[in-house]
Amino acid sequence: MIHVAAYTGGGICMGLGAMGAAIGEGYTAAQANLAVSRNPKISGDLFKNMLVGQAVAESASIFALVIAILLLFTNTGTGALIKAAALLGAGICMGFGAIGSGVGSGFPGGQACLGIARQPAVTNRITTNMLIGSAVCQTPAIFSMVVALMLIFMDFSHSAFYPGWAALIGAGLSTGLAAIGSGYGGGMAAGACCEGIARQPESVGNATTTMLVGQAVSQTPAIFGLLVSFILMFKTFPESPALSASMALLGAGISMGFGGIGPGIGNGMTAEGAVRWVSRRMEHAGELMRIMLVGQAVSQSTAIYAMVISLVLIFVV
Amino acid sequence: MRKKIQAAQKMETIKQTQKKYGTRAMTVAIIIAVGLIVIGEKAAGKGLVLGALFSVINFVLIGLTLPRTVGHGKRASIFISLASLLLRYTLLAIPLILAIKLDQFNLITVLIGIFMIQLMILLDHLPIPLGQTRVRQKRASS
Repeated sequence: MIHVAAYTGGGICMGLGAMGAAIGEGYTAAQANLAVSRNPKISGDLFKNMLVGQAVAESASIFALVIAILLLFTNTGTGALIKAAALLGAGICMGFGAIGSGVGSGFPGGQACLGIARQPAVTNRITTNMLIGSAVCQTPAIFSMVVALMLIFMDFSHSAFYPGWAALIGAGLSTGLAAIGSGYGGGMAAGACCEGIARQPESVGNATTTMLVGQAVSQTPAIFGLLVSFILMFKTFPESPALSASMALLGAGISMGFGGIGPGIGNGMTAEGAVRWVSRRMEHAGELMRIMLVGQAVSQSTAIYAMVISLVLIFVV
Repeated sequence: MRKKIQAAQKMETIKQTQKKYGTRAMTVAIIIAVGLIVIGEKAAGKGLVLGALFSVINFVLIGLTLPRTVGHGKRASIFISLASLLLRYTLLAIPLILAIKLDQFNLITVLIGIFMIQLMILLDHLPIPLGQTRVRQKRASS
């Protein structure tokens, strides 16, 4: 049973993990087409930018590969049945967690190509900004990898199978799904920043600061997801054969996971708009940053509702 | 003729970038590995070099497949990217499986080695804005 769960988890992990990075790379390549057709003379620089951008952008799917290989080949023991739930949860967590970061990393790559075609003189600034934005995009995938590694290597043999299995799969779903929105949203902000710098190279300082603040707030739903996962993994639940107890814990993970997707993307949209206009209207950078933060706080509220419901399901129901 | 020259220049730029980061990644990995072997962590040192080697191979393959992803529609680009990913990740799985199966290689240093190219790229670019900020601050103060 443990092997069945490990192999299923490994398959889910790599399948979903490769999907995000491939979409992101495809988007970058599509934008590179446009950039090369606009400015064919600098196609060498564009390919160089794509090369370094994609090497960093595919980190999320390499995390997924690592977890999949660990699930397939590590001897995780043949002990308690609850380990099977933990291994399946690990695969689900990393697989979903790599999607957002993989797709999101494609945005700065694509916009950087277009920006370099427009402003070859500031290639270095755009590339640097692309790499910073792309690296920050990987954070939700790193959260997912942390949870997946904990699920693989922690000892859950002391936990009761009912409702422990649901808590561990819920832990995987919570961080994995919540990371989708945060990774995608962070990429939107990074893409807008590359575009903005190409339009107005002097705005690099303000645009990068706004991008980093916007990306940091976009990561919040993934942090909520991580928090719920930690509670589900570390809290000891009393044994209960009733299905409702298991479903409450699984529901907690589903609530936070799905509840984090929208706010992550919404926060990214807000950050994208703010960064875009900061680079066009540098003199209003402070005001735009305030509006962005207020907008993100409002957008965040739905993630907070999801977290509240998750906590009620864990502690009250 | 002009197209051929442009394609050759493009490949030359990619090769130079690959050579730059590939050399750095392997050099840093070997230096650290020698240090680890000297202090008695032979498996860790060997793992780091193994991971870095496959990281460089992966980077070279990205460079070879990149020009093929451009010049097609969005769907075709995504399909080519996915095929390229699957091929490269099959290769990247080799050092991980070796590290899990054999005690000669340390799994954690293999993992670090696999990200050596990414680390070199980020290290190469991250100090630039800090440097530029300092130059701007100096100019402003003078």
